[in-house]
Amino acid sequence: MPSSVEFALRCSGVTRFFPSGVAVDDLSFDVPRGSVLALLGNNGAGKTTTIRLLNGVLRPDSGSCRVLGLDPAIHGTDVRRRTGVVTENAGLDDRLTALENLESTARLRGLRGKTARARIDDLLERFDMSRQAGQLCQGFSTGQRRRVALARALLHDPEVLFLDEPTSGLDPAGARAVMELIDHSARERGRTIVLCTHFLGEAGTSADLMAVMHHGRLAAFGRPEELAAARWPFLDVYLDLGGPPTPEVEATLRGLVTVRAVRPVADGALVSVPGRDAIPSVVADVVASGGRVYGTRSLPKGLEDVYFAVQQEIAA
Amino acid sequence: MTLLASATSLERRADGAADAVDRPAASRRLNHDVVRALLSKDMAAARRSRSIVLPLLVVPFVLLVGLPVGIAIYARAGTPPDLGRFLEQLPGPIARDLSALPAQQRLLELVLGYLVAPLFLIVPMMISSALAADSFAGEKERRTLESLLHLPVEERDLFVSKVLFAFLPTVAVSWIGFALYSVAANVVAWPVMGRVFVPTWRWVGLIVFLAPAVAMLGLGVMVRVSARARTTQEANQLGGAVIMPLILASVGQTSGLLMMEPYWIFVASIVVWAIALLLVRGGLRRFTRDRVASRL
Ligand SMILES: Nc1ncnc2c1ncn2[C@@H]1O[C@H](COP(=O)(O)OP(=O)(O)OP(=O)(O)O)[C@@H](O)[C@H]1O
Ligand SMILES: [Mg+2]
Repeated sequence: MPSSVEFALRCSGVTRFFPSGVAVDDLSFDVPRGSVLALLGNNGAGKTTTIRLLNGVLRPDSGSCRVLGLDPAIHGTDVRRRTGVVTENAGLDDRLTALENLESTARLRGLRGKTARARIDDLLERFDMSRQAGQLCQGFSTGQRRRVALARALLHDPEVLFLDEPTSGLDPAGARAVMELIDHSARERGRTIVLCTHFLGEAGTSADLMAVMHHGRLAAFGRPEELAAARWPFLDVYLDLGGPPTPEVEATLRGLVTVRAVRPVADGALVSVPGRDAIPSVVADVVASGGRVYGTRSLPKGLEDVYFAVQQEIAA
Repeated sequence: MTLLASATSLERRADGAADAVDRPAASRRLNHDVVRALLSKDMAAARRSRSIVLPLLVVPFVLLVGLPVGIAIYARAGTPPDLGRFLEQLPGPIARDLSALPAQQRLLELVLGYLVAPLFLIVPMMISSALAADSFAGEKERRTLESLLHLPVEERDLFVSKVLFAFLPTVAVSWIGFALYSVAANVVAWPVMGRVFVPTWRWVGLIVFLAPAVAMLGLGVMVRVSARARTTQEANQLGGAVIMPLILASVGQTSGLLMMEPYWIFVASIVVWAIALLLVRGGLRRFTRDRVASRL
């Protein structure tokens, strides 16, 4: 069992009410250091509130959190020194330039002089905002604001990064830069990242862990592949047969013990098998029954499938 | 069930004692670096904001320079009205002072030395409340508050920087405005007065002690109002309901004050300071991240 410090984030029974009702309800989860957690859920599910609770901006009504071993409700400032946040709304002061926004945050984080300047230049460069550094944020597009907000959250190289919909409003290049940044920070630098997003594809490629929230409750939590394996014991494999399967091929497929389900499609068939190891023998049997296999593709279930399955489970 | 739980949680949060226990930060000393950084950021932004700079310059100019000069020019042009009977109705000290003057100087001394004085208190009250509304409610409206709450900045440092943001420019403008007024009043009145007649000791008490107190009072009201408002405009509307009567009251009271012995101005200043500081202190106690973030 890892100690609490190996877990960057721990929540146990965290509950928070607002006059309008419960926003986070008995939330418990642990996130090891260096992982990327995709925090998912419909609008109003409680994602932003969870980030605020973890960063000590809100206090739980019951339960408690630990961030890097500290309770944010008590040692909030110490926690916030080591975390960085990109809020849903970029939250830049429109009356200041991009550079001034970054400089004032650097100062508030105790970064000064050449170190601060070098770091700011580096981040502006990374998010492709160097040319606009001296412009007032007032005229910036949503994506440009988000770039500056990202740079601002990274000024002090935080150990934990909370990103609340960081790619909304970004163009494809910007979104890719953010996803690369997430990967790099987590894989190579051991940073822990909480990523709230409605883009499941992008969550799927980067997340080690996923949490699905619904009405403040945790509807699912775990590794996407494990959550998927629990729901779908079989692997879907697409067989490219160059056309719909002939009756003989289809009969052969249905007759195989390793194949649990067969679905003919326009130029081949989708089969469910226990795992990758079953694919060569399935291909061999198709060929033996006179079929031609132009290619195969495994379609493992991932975060996106789990998300929708969980939503269906909630609805049921 | 949910409702019940939420009701108890609200009760619990309303309980100040519980709040104080888990707020070790409240006892720590002010972080001057942080306060300075916040203040300079807000000042830099405010300097570029026309909705802040214009009122800051125009209101004092009209009240402190335009109005007195107009009155003086008018008073100089006309034949001096007979103030004898009016003076009889005034209370002791002021009547005594004025009666000692030559007749043609009485009107100027009365108007520029006494009657416009209450106007000076409108300036600090209006400016400080406008700046406080911009700083406390405007920050919510501009949506910059949440990212500040996510920084390692103590609530108290943030609060103090906001109070100073409203207070310091107000006092500066009031004092500079008064200096300009003194110059303008003496210049226009010179042909009649032939001497420097403002500031009087009453003025000094008014400007040095009472004006900052009144500034803090307007600020204190706005701090409390802004906690409930989501926009500057809303804060100004809610605040106006309190500030306008306060302005009227202070104008009325000051006219009264000026009729009394000068030391009453100091007494009044102490009372106003006390009320203002109570308001501000209550505002600080309520200025917790949790409360502020719940009303974003
Ligand atoms: N300050 C607040 N006052 C009252 N209710 C709030 C407050 N903040 C959040 N809530 C409520 O709590 C619930 C969770 O809100 P939250 O912002 O955490 O959702 P979210 O998952 O971030 O949604 P989105 O995807 O739209 O950003 C919502 O029902 C919201 O109305
Ligand atoms: Mg949200």
